Amino acid sequence: MVGKDCVAIACDLRLGLQALTVSNNFPKIFQYGDVLLGLTGLATDVATVSDLFRYKVNMYRLREERNIAPSTFANLVSSSLYERRFGPYFVSPVVAGLDQKTGKPFICGFDSIGCIDFAKDFIVSGTATEQLFGMCESLWEPDMVRLDLDFRTLFPPGIFFYMMILLKNGQLNHDVECSTIMHIICTSDLNFTNASYQSTFATGFDEFFANNLNLLDDLQCPEDLFETISQALLNAVDRDALSGWGAHVYIIEKDKVTKRLLKGRQD
Amino acid sequence: MDTLVARYSRPTYDETVTEDMEEELLDPVASGLSLKFAMPPVAQPSSWLRSATDDRMNPDCPIKIAHGTTTLAFRFQGGIIVATDSRATSGDWIASQTVKKVIEINDKMLGTMAGGAADCQYWLAWLGMQCRLHELRHKRRISVAAASKILANLVYSYKNMGLSMGTMCAGVTKEEGPALYYIDSDGTRLAGNLFCVGSGQTFAYGVLDAEYKYDLSVEDALALGSRSILAATHRDAYSGGFINLYHVKEQGWEKHGFSDTNPIFWKTKLEKGEFTNVTSELV
Amino acid sequence: MSALFSQNPLMNGPNYSFSDTPVSHPNEAHGELREHRFNPYTDNGGSTLAIAGADFAIVAGDTRLTSGYSIHTRYSPKVFKIGGTTADQKDATIVLSVVGFAADGTALRERLDAACKMYRYRHGKPMSVNAAAKRLSTMLYQKRFFPYYVYAILAGLDEEGKGAVYSYDPVGSYEREMCRAGGAAASLIMPFLDNQVNFKNQHIPGSGEGHAIQEREKKPLLREQVEILVKDAFDGAVERHIEVGDGLQMMVITSQGVEEHYLPLKKD
Repeated sequence: MVGKDCVAIACDLRLGLQALTVSNNFPKIFQYGDVLLGLTGLATDVATVSDLFRYKVNMYRLREERNIAPSTFANLVSSSLYERRFGPYFVSPVVAGLDQKTGKPFICGFDSIGCIDFAKDFIVSGTATEQLFGMCESLWEPDMVRLDLDFRTLFPPGIFFYMMILLKNGQLNHDVECSTIMHIICTSDLNFTNASYQSTFATGFDEFFANNLNLLDDLQCPEDLFETISQALLNAVDRDALSGWGAHVYIIEKDKVTKRLLKGRQD
Repeated sequence: MDTLVARYSRPTYDETVTEDMEEELLDPVASGLSLKFAMPPVAQPSSWLRSATDDRMNPDCPIKIAHGTTTLAFRFQGGIIVATDSRATSGDWIASQTVKKVIEINDKMLGTMAGGAADCQYWLAWLGMQCRLHELRHKRRISVAAASKILANLVYSYKNMGLSMGTMCAGVTKEEGPALYYIDSDGTRLAGNLFCVGSGQTFAYGVLDAEYKYDLSVEDALALGSRSILAATHRDAYSGGFINLYHVKEQGWEKHGFSDTNPIFWKTKLEKGEFTNVTSELV
Repeated sequence: MSALFSQNPLMNGPNYSFSDTPVSHPNEAHGELREHRFNPYTDNGGSTLAIAGADFAIVAGDTRLTSGYSIHTRYSPKVFKIGGTTADQKDATIVLSVVGFAADGTALRERLDAACKMYRYRHGKPMSVNAAAKRLSTMLYQKRFFPYYVYAILAGLDEEGKGAVYSYDPVGSYEREMCRAGGAAASLIMPFLDNQVNFKNQHIPGSGEGHAIQEREKKPLLREQVEILVKDAFDGAVERHIEVGDGLQMMVITSQGVEEHYLPLKKD
């Protein structure tokens, strides 16, 4: 999942044989330098393919004396999978990473024979794909500034102002969202009356934000992305009998990868 | 020629069904839990039904019926413990996490639900009606043996029609004491001390058999019932949700909560040191 | 015996009590008895959704009707008022949504409506939702061996005036719930509803870390919030499911009666 200057990738921890849960500690994400690979599908192939790419990425680093870039790695995955066109590995991989040069987020997914699906928002794979599509489609937003329903308690003022900027720039022009924002402004504790809000909106918008720009520093995009991807994954796997039992989440920023364990339902 | 035509054609609609429906609207009794069922106009209704609804035989079947379960009941000195999970699945999809799988037949008797949810709900409600009619006719409460036999005979009459139920009847009467019966849609009817039914039965038996004694105290028996379901929800993908716990006593049954497995699981793990297979710290 | 209820294929248990007779008739091979494959169902796609609030209930459904990859119509309602005194259902208090096979849906709707009208005629009062819910369950079960291919959701206000939503499987097992999505995009919408209506996996910010974290308390949503949720849920579903789209029909049941709204959805 893509955020503002960051990407995240997450997986559940179940390994099962139909109804029987064999293991509850089977991570499906593998880190190769700056690039992360998620693998779902047949467990034996997950192990084989992850080792295969560890080998290939190490060889790349020895030969090129630099880390592999996410987009290069994606093409490596694609060509390696297509080599097995008529006897494929039963996996559907997901790749996530930040381009080290430009800092641009990169994510993509594959089918089991290597067709790449480039996406600018999110990629899902595994047994709970439908549920994940539903969750991601409704929670994800560009640059990951979410509008929660109980916004007054959840939103620090910084994010609140940022939303207004987005609104002004036309990046946030959804009907419902606009009305929600109007609603926040009219009812929040920030002493905006309807009238002052409207005048601010009409006249000194730039001036107003110029004076309040320091508030934007409070913005925590990686944290927002973490919350979104975690909620998407946990709620999706809770509606799928064959996945769950805890989760791992990786947040990739410019020069930092954070890994977290999520406490999920154990049924 | 007429015989040929008769062989290859059928009426445009089944008149008997339409008549039944009209009758049902006019007759208030028929609109209740009746034994009149509409049938598909084919030679072998059951095999047609199987191809349309059995997702294990035909994964692309259009109608997915909810199932998947762990239920258990056991007799002990203080009465009967009945415990179930609350998950309904159709295929891998979790259709519901809040199904009430213990059906209160009347205030002295309980039934459990495994297999097809609709079959169990309908026929146990019907059984409740039969039990009440028995009471009215004979001026005394029906025995668990008789009630379970009514159900067993009924499902036997529908054998091979595609009903899917595995149910337990638990009750306490003066004549019998605590009585527990297992009935399934094949027509099996068994009396016993201890039963686990459903996709998670093996996991529940594992815990239950290890700790079960007839002399268990009420508190320990309730804890054992709950712990057995917890083990099954953990290992069986098609069981989960909430633990529904009942205690059947001479005075009637008593409900002991419909509690979420998640906090119970973590409490069991962290406070009692069980379930060490589950990681709770990132390494 | 008990293995018959095993879902686990490793245990080789069949899940039903069907006899093991072969599917094709033995005589068929000799051409003596031939039966055309009886295929009475079509999946007409679409999706429905219902949410109960403290003093209202909302039922919504998209208005696309498909068969395979073709769209038959872009305006075919899936949500109906039930049990009014007249044909226009002006004074109806119960709402039924049906998704699956449209013809079965229509048949079921008409049957339930007739039953509600007969009840009113006999008892001189409208049917309560819980009575209608039970009635619908038996109606579906009457066709246990030739089911209605329909996922129904019934909604109204209960005797205390609280919002009530009842959801059904095709053969009549039912349950009262706070929210339910049905039909083609149920798997996309339902986890979102768990999260946003029942606050599943939500925690109180700053209540601690790890095991100390506190769950967010469950409380019924306001009507405006629910309306936004419904729209968001369908916008998501439309994006990722080909059988859902065109229009969003929404019924809001309050003590004042039933309001109907129509909002456009993507038509691609």
